[in-house]
Order: sequence, then C-alpha cells, then structure tokens
Amino acid sequence: MYSHDPGFGSTLEIRLQSRAYQVLTHHKLAQILGFIYSDPPDLIIIDISSPNKEIKSLIQSLKSDIYFSAIPVIGLISASDPDQFPWDDYQLDDFVFLPIKYSELFIRIELSIRRIQRVFDNNPLTRLPGNTSVQNAIADAIGKPMGVCYLDINNFKPYNDTYGFTRGDEVLRMLGRLMSNAVKEAGGGFAGHIGGDDFVFIVPLERAETVCSTIIDNFTTIALDLFDDGDRDNGYYVALNRKGQQERFPLLSIAISIVPTDQAKIHHCGKVVEMAAELKIIAKKSGKSCYVLDKRKR
Amino acid sequence: MDTRTLPTLPGIVTKLNSLADNEKSSIQEMARLVSSDQVLSARILRLANSPSYGFYRVATISNAMILLGVDVVKSLILSSSIFEIMEKSALGLWEHSLGAGVAANIIAKRLSLPDCEEIATAALLHDIGKVIVRLKLQDEYDVLLAKTAESGSTLHELEREMLGTDHSEVGGWLGKNWFLPEKLVVPITFHHNVAGAFCHQVKTAVVHFADVLIKASGFGFSGDPFVPALQPVAWNMLGMTEPLLAEIVEELEEKLVDTKNFSLEIQSTDETKT
Repeated sequence: MYSHDPGFGSTLEIRLQSRAYQVLTHHKLAQILGFIYSDPPDLIIIDISSPNKEIKSLIQSLKSDIYFSAIPVIGLISASDPDQFPWDDYQLDDFVFLPIKYSELFIRIELSIRRIQRVFDNNPLTRLPGNTSVQNAIADAIGKPMGVCYLDINNFKPYNDTYGFTRGDEVLRMLGRLMSNAVKEAGGGFAGHIGGDDFVFIVPLERAETVCSTIIDNFTTIALDLFDDGDRDNGYYVALNRKGQQERFPLLSIAISIVPTDQAKIHHCGKVVEMAAELKIIAKKSGKSCYVLDKRKR
Repeated sequence: MDTRTLPTLPGIVTKLNSLADNEKSSIQEMARLVSSDQVLSARILRLANSPSYGFYRVATISNAMILLGVDVVKSLILSSSIFEIMEKSALGLWEHSLGAGVAANIIAKRLSLPDCEEIATAALLHDIGKVIVRLKLQDEYDVLLAKTAESGSTLHELEREMLGTDHSEVGGWLGKNWFLPEKLVVPITFHHNVAGAFCHQVKTAVVHFADVLIKASGFGFSGDPFVPALQPVAWNMLGMTEPLLAEIVEELEEKLVDTKNFSLEIQSTDETKT
C-alpha cells in the first residue's frame, strides 16, 4: 500500500490489519517496485489523491510485465471530480473515493481477489496466459502478417525423470520467462503456455526469426545451469529412454516452428496447429536447438 | 537488518541509465557493466533468486538478466540510484572487488574450468561482507581500519577479535539470506579458509587465489596493505605450478591496465555528473 501521507497511511494500515490482511505501507515511491519485484503482493492499494508522473510510471511498469500485471491495483482517488481523473493514464483495476469509506474498500479488495481467481486462465507455473488465451490470440492473428511460433523442449521427459519435477518446473518457469522477455523486448506480441513443455508466442512475421534466435541463444546460455557440474562438463546426461534402457541424452535444447498466418489456406486455429506439427518434425530432426519457418508458397 | 540500500558507484548507474534509455543497447552490454559492480550484481542476483520467481540457481549476471528482462533490471537500477551514493573512500574496495573478478576469470580460463563467469561473479562478490560491515558498523569499521595500519594485524584478524565475526561470514550470511546459490555463497564464506569449504572447493580456491593475487598486484585497496599467503590446500586443489602462476600474474598485470582505465572512466562519469 502506498500513500504520500504517513498519517493516513498508518490509519489505513491499522484498519486493514484489523481485517487480518498483511500490510506493507510505503511512503517513498522509489522503493516500491523493488519490494514488489522481490516479494509480489496479492493486491496493491495506491493513494492517487495527488496524481503524478512517478505513480503513473509505477503502475505502467507493473502492468506492462506479464508476470506482475495480474496483481490487482486499487486506486484511492479524490471524489471531487472523477470525470477529470486521467483514467487512461492509470491502469487501475478498481477505485475507491476519498475520503475513504472503509466498508466499501474492504468489499473492493475481496472482489478484486475473487475476480482474479475466477478469470485466471494463466498457467500457475509460468503465469503466462493459458490455452483459452492462446486460441484467441491465434484466431486474432489469422489473416495478418504474423508468425505463430510453437516452442517445445527436446527430450524433456528424461530430464524430468532424472532431475525430478522440481527442477523440471524450474526449467519451464525459466523458459517461459525468457520467452516472454524476448517477445516483449523485441517490440511486443503474445506469449502463452499451452501446458507441459509446450509454449506459443506470436509476433509480427518480420520479427519472428530474430525473436527465435534470441530465445534459442538465451536458452542455450541458461541450459548449462540446469545440469549438475558432471553432466554439464560431459555435454550429456544418462537417463532411461522410452524402452526403459539407459541412454545418453544431449543437454536440453528447444525446437520452434513458425507458422505464417497470412496464408490463404489458413482459416482457423486447427490448420495452424496441423502445420506446426508438420514443421516440428523437421525442427526436431537435428537434435539441437533450432527454428523452422514454413516457406511453402503462400 | 535492512540491506536494501547498499551504496553503489554513481558513475555505473549513470552509464547504465544511458544504456537503458538507448533502445539499441543489448542485454549483454548492460550485463557487462553490472558485472563490474559488486553491489549491483548482488542485488540483481538476489532478485533473480528470490522465491517468488521460482528460479533457484541463478549464479551469473547474464543469466539473471535474461530471466529478469531489461525492464525489471532498468527499474531496479532506477529505484536504487537515488538513495545510495558510495563514498569516495570506498573506491579502493570497489576496485579490489572488480580486480578480483578479473583475476578469477584469468585463473579459471587458464585452468580450463567450465564455469568462468560463475567463478568471476563469486570473486567479484567475495568482499560484499565488508560493504555491510562498513555500512552497519561505521564507527567500529573506522577504528578497525586505523588499527590495522598501526598494529600490523590483518583486517580479517581484527574483525574476529573486535567484532566476533568477520566479513567472509557476514558476506556468506547475506548470500544465504538473499537465496544466492551455494556456488556463490561457499566461495564468499571460505575465501580466507579454503579447507573449510564443504563443496565447490575448486571455485573457493580460485576466489582465494584471485583475492591474494589482486592484493599482491597493488590494485585497489581491500582495507589493509597485507598480502596473505597462498594456502597450500588451494594450490594443490588447483594443481597450480610456479610457471603457470607466473603466466597468470603476467596476464593479470596486462588486464589491470584496462581495468584501471575503466575505473577512471567510471569515476570521471561521476564527476561530470555531480
């Protein structure tokens, strides 16, 4: 919770604590992002009775990061002329008028928390949008010069079997994060997690190959850290294959298939999935990280 | 204890800000600059290893930055720049840490060790405990520094005597508290006692070597002028030989010329800014 007014802040804190909420109150804006990034809260309350650029950019930073954008932000705003409030500049999830009516604030808090549980399609592991959002994003892309990119990890199962699910989950979290960073840093797009080791991102076609290369480079760097020293130095690890026999597996790599969505033959999601599956076979052949772009006649 | 605000060289922050403002600058360029500052590096690693992200073994700045993303790193830099400006007198320690990182990288490469960047990071952070002690026990630390000069005891010995702890223990404690991976925490904790390392012994031995060599080179100032002996256990663990050591020292001397220039450049950035 943030308020520039320490007196008001501490009253609010006590009222919230009386409702058994754990509250952390800040009076200095500059520190807040650091706190949120290192220990994300369930909900943020910001006193915007005197709007300024720092508050605006704080909310913008949060809402532009897929990992933190889900945290509900409730703004406390002056009741005097709500029509004048720059709603477009402050991406609030809800508001309460000042002077504050505590009974209302408590209800808003409860609603915000419940709403997020209800509409949350996001994958709980990576916090990326889940299957429903992926389908919608693909549908939106069809007919436009976009690249729908399917990404998965080669030989993920033996890794999971050998190193355990905790380490496996960490790999998925890292891959999800570095993928969404790469998409965002290349100028934006969609990044989603279908489930397991299957991810999808959608970017303008002209940028698709660059984003793929960045993701592959970054994953290759990170992948070294995902193995114990011995396996990493060997460049392979030993695990059971599908037949239950010991086999040497190379260090983790990823395969990406890029399906351009401005092709005439693509009318619906199903076709995109089908083409991606065909490309994936080619992408997997090398056993190394790579991407394959569908260059068949459009 | 609040360790959120640790002093950083303003010149680094100024440079990082301008990198952050430039859309074309790559994450690698930012990583290189961050890697020269022990406090910023520690903060970024802390964030990448914080339980809310669910990554548990991020030990290098480049990995941390890939995972956090440019925007998070930028905000961290911007929010940390306002409150903490390093005093001029701490510059010697900053240079010592930077130099130790450079030395560790040379040693690790010469020995063909697989994780040069991790080892260099551990060496960069090896004296982070001194930053904490200095900040939290300002008066005691000044007395300590004055005493080393007159008594002939090392800073490490005097810390034990007067504080009942020392900077390696404090650094190790900080690292654990910040959920940094063991491969960083162990070398930080045992860089004065290589035999005590219960794992990551080779990394610890390299960091110890780097600390001793950088002190011997006269680059930077770690708090006392004494060059501790190279511990035999570290020597054996690395399979060190005199000719190899001579090569390492020679390469280090060369690299330190560039390192000094970099340090001067950063300091002049401070002056133009203030």
